[in-house]
Amino acid sequence: MDINGDVEEFSRRIQVRFITKLKSPLKVPSSSIALPSNLTRMGLSALINNLLQAGNADWKPEPFDFLINGELVRMSLEEFLLAKGISAEKILEIEYIKAVAPRREEESSLHDDWVSAADGSNPEFIVTGCYDGLGRIWKAAGLCSHVLEGHSAAVTSVSIIKPKGVESSTAVSIATASKDRTLRLWKFDVEESFDHPKKIRAYKILTGHNASVQSVTAQPSGDMVCSGSWDCRIKLWQTNELDKGGDSVSIKKRKMDNEDEESQSQGEAVSTLVGHTQCVSSVVWPESESVYSASWDHSIRRWDVETGKDSLNMFCGKAINCLDIGGEGSSLIAAGGSDSIIRIWDPRKPGTLAPIFQFSSHTSWISACKWHKKSWFHLASASYDGKVMLWDLRTAWPLAVIDSHKDKVLCADWWRGDSVISGGVDSKLCISSAISV
Amino acid sequence: MKGRLKERESKLKTKEEKIVTEREVDVEEEDAHEIPSGSDYSDEDFDEDNGTLTESGSEQSEFSEDEEIDNTSDGDGSTDGDYSLQDHSGTVDDISQQDQNDDHSHQEPKESDEDHRGVEESDSSEDEVAPLNTVGDVPLEWYRDEEHIGYDISGKKIKKKERQDKLDSFLASADDSKNWRKIYDEYNDEEVELTKHETKLISRLLKGKAPHANFDPHAPYVDWFAWEDSKHPLSNAPEPKRRFIPSKWESKKINIDPESLKPKLPSRKDLKPYPTTCYLEYRGHKGAVLSISTEASGEWIASGSSDGTIRVWEVETGRCLRVWELGEAVQHVAWNPSSDLPILAVSAGQDVFLLNTGFGNEEEQKRIKELLHVEARTGPDDSNNTASIVSWAQDDKHEGVRIKHFKTVSSVEWHRKGDYFSTVMPSGESRAILIHQLSKKISQRIPFKLHGLPVSSAFHPTRSVFFVSTKKNVRVYDLVKQKSVKKLETGLREVSSIAIHPGGDNVIVGSREGKLCWFDMDLSSQPYRILKCHPKDITNVAFHRSYPLFASCSDDCTAYVFHGMVYSDLNQNPLIVPLEILRGHTSSNGRGVMDCKFHPRQPWLFTAGADSVIRLFCH
Repeated sequence: MDINGDVEEFSRRIQVRFITKLKSPLKVPSSSIALPSNLTRMGLSALINNLLQAGNADWKPEPFDFLINGELVRMSLEEFLLAKGISAEKILEIEYIKAVAPRREEESSLHDDWVSAADGSNPEFIVTGCYDGLGRIWKAAGLCSHVLEGHSAAVTSVSIIKPKGVESSTAVSIATASKDRTLRLWKFDVEESFDHPKKIRAYKILTGHNASVQSVTAQPSGDMVCSGSWDCRIKLWQTNELDKGGDSVSIKKRKMDNEDEESQSQGEAVSTLVGHTQCVSSVVWPESESVYSASWDHSIRRWDVETGKDSLNMFCGKAINCLDIGGEGSSLIAAGGSDSIIRIWDPRKPGTLAPIFQFSSHTSWISACKWHKKSWFHLASASYDGKVMLWDLRTAWPLAVIDSHKDKVLCADWWRGDSVISGGVDSKLCISSAISV
Repeated sequence: MKGRLKERESKLKTKEEKIVTEREVDVEEEDAHEIPSGSDYSDEDFDEDNGTLTESGSEQSEFSEDEEIDNTSDGDGSTDGDYSLQDHSGTVDDISQQDQNDDHSHQEPKESDEDHRGVEESDSSEDEVAPLNTVGDVPLEWYRDEEHIGYDISGKKIKKKERQDKLDSFLASADDSKNWRKIYDEYNDEEVELTKHETKLISRLLKGKAPHANFDPHAPYVDWFAWEDSKHPLSNAPEPKRRFIPSKWESKKINIDPESLKPKLPSRKDLKPYPTTCYLEYRGHKGAVLSISTEASGEWIASGSSDGTIRVWEVETGRCLRVWELGEAVQHVAWNPSSDLPILAVSAGQDVFLLNTGFGNEEEQKRIKELLHVEARTGPDDSNNTASIVSWAQDDKHEGVRIKHFKTVSSVEWHRKGDYFSTVMPSGESRAILIHQLSKKISQRIPFKLHGLPVSSAFHPTRSVFFVSTKKNVRVYDLVKQKSVKKLETGLREVSSIAIHPGGDNVIVGSREGKLCWFDMDLSSQPYRILKCHPKDITNVAFHRSYPLFASCSDDCTAYVFHGMVYSDLNQNPLIVPLEILRGHTSSNGRGVMDCKFHPRQPWLFTAGADSVIRLFCH
């Protein structure tokens, strides 16, 4: 490098070597460079782009993010080194990654009422729940393929039931929870496509809750779903059509009536987990043997599915609205609730119940927080302040703030690994895509 | 000594001669009395032999001897008064002689005078030489056109001297190098020449120093009364008692650190959680929200507004779920406290509505529908007198029951079991407060005499005790024994609201003058604490069901949250700590926050504003 060894400069210079885990066209020479210490992330990003352009003439500039000792640089290099107490004498290794921020805002998908729930765990489609009592399947932005009709009150939560290995991959099951105190299970074929959204009816209605069902989640294997409700109970339900709770008549009827008028079987809970004293606002089922639940009674609990006992009971001082398990080893608990702070706990840490991370850039209640399925560091959150934020555990500042909603955001999720979907009071489902995690 | 005396004498002699010669000149021109003498000579004295003067200070006795010698002929004292007497006695003939004496006698006291001053700085006016002129302190311009400047002591006119004309005075000033020291004394009509000493004095005074150069204002303090081998104190008297008892005024002073008088209240941090921040707003009403009520589980909140609607909101999201249009300003809404009977009791105008909210499962709905079904009554054969008070009727429009009252109903309160409820009609006189039973659909007036205008009523949270607050007092009735149990004397001008602690033994009362009274009913019928916090009317007060919190809201657009801990130990008085002032509402038509209710399970407070917004303050 020609700047290397230049002695007569005014600002301090730092010896730097860039490293990356990115693939070959994004690699820069690994020789060390002397950089002015007042460079910020912008400057570093421009530098990397210049270096890449030097090697590849038709390179299109792209934002990068920089990691020093596993922390994202959010100030000038000099300040960062000072703050972290890193010596500027040695050659500094800076890892660069693609900046995590939405590059594209897709057309918003309009609903008839508030969008209360969204699930993007299947890359083929998005499921949304709406206050008009309908669930909707979206193949892409603005392209609604199915309408799930049947709930008599607002849908509060939706969950895609992972297809079982034996079944064909085109048939997908979905569970929805509603304020009408029921859960409904739906089945549809992904391959189908229509000009108009096809109305489908639930194949199974799960009744038993005494109050609004707030949250539903499916077991990873897809055999069961779990629900949390305002009646303080968590109930586990079988998803298969031929369960013993449903009466056989309806099954026969279904066979006779063929596809036209699908009969609905009623299902009852397999087991009930009792312990919460207030509304169970969120349930997550990351592994088949344990269910996590968050409640307005200020606690987060882990339940052993087999015994029905809570193996972890974390008091966290606030009414919790949303919960997700993920991150490092899929065991970090992220939760948000009746204040503007997202807290992350590590339940493996013995002895302490203090959150290991706290993100407080939101200004109102947190309505949703979701871990990225692949990354250990990335988190999306939605808040009543109308913003969706992307977080990286390696910095306390949000990576990106998505401001596409005009009112409260009620739900958010990752989709296809590179998009964030969010729905809110403005009846829109927004998709922010091309996020390079 | 002798030598010095001699010296002194000779000096005086020479002086006398000098004086005589001068005087003689003077006398030729003017009357002897007109001549001011003493000052001149003393001046001379200062001027010429300053040393002598200081010396003479210590030789006062000698001096008086001198005097004696000099004034043998007169044989009189040396004071001014004597001098003047002598002056009187003297004849005109021996003017010169007289003059001489005069001068001496004049000069000598003057000198001694100066001596005195040197020692003890006498300020006495007697030491000064009396001026010749006796006109006193009158404006001298009265004599401007006269030939005389005044009168001497014997009443003779003192003639004015001839004035030097300008030219002469100029020439004189040019000739005389001492002219700048001359000052014209208008009163005595003479020119006074300041001596060097005097000018020095003046210049020192102008500089703000002590007039005498050898006076040291900061002389080291000499303690004459203490010396090394002093065995005894100056005074052997015992220490007086007053030294060690507080004085009359000191004993009246209260010597207490004001900080220590503050009650030892726990820190607010230790009393968390309590509502602090407004995160949610419930918007939709078009008029002031007059009343709110939370559902037992805390999932829903109902609100009644002056725009004639009742709305039910989802607490979590702020979504308005249901609206009833009653067409008349809704005064009060109240959810049935039992969780399986989601019924709203609403007072609007002269009607009380019981509305089916539609929540609850099928069985509950079935029961509610049965409860809210009123058979059309055949009016005439109902001889019961309650029939004339109110009438129960089915209201199909709103899916509920309409209970028609004969006066405007201001509030509705449920009994804890959700079957009975009371209504208050402030202008209903003896039938102002009615108790209704939902299951039997009957109404009856309370069998107690009301003293004053009723404001609101409340059921005891555990026992069959009923609270009625009138404008001045709160009365507590036992519904089983049917008698008045207690009267709480608020001492307030106008009670606006009342809330009962969930334990049942403590009552808070809000008043229109902004005061909040806490009654501990076990303690006394007088307020245990009076909190004066709101500058305007308190509109409502509320207790939390489970947290030790209470709140008051007011027309000043704020709500105050307090920690109100009631201990089960009867010896321990309730602990009241102010926690937070919740702001955010805006004033509308002079009204602020109309109602406040705690969330039944969370430490959150809902406030209903006259600005048509409901706010939720969270911890």
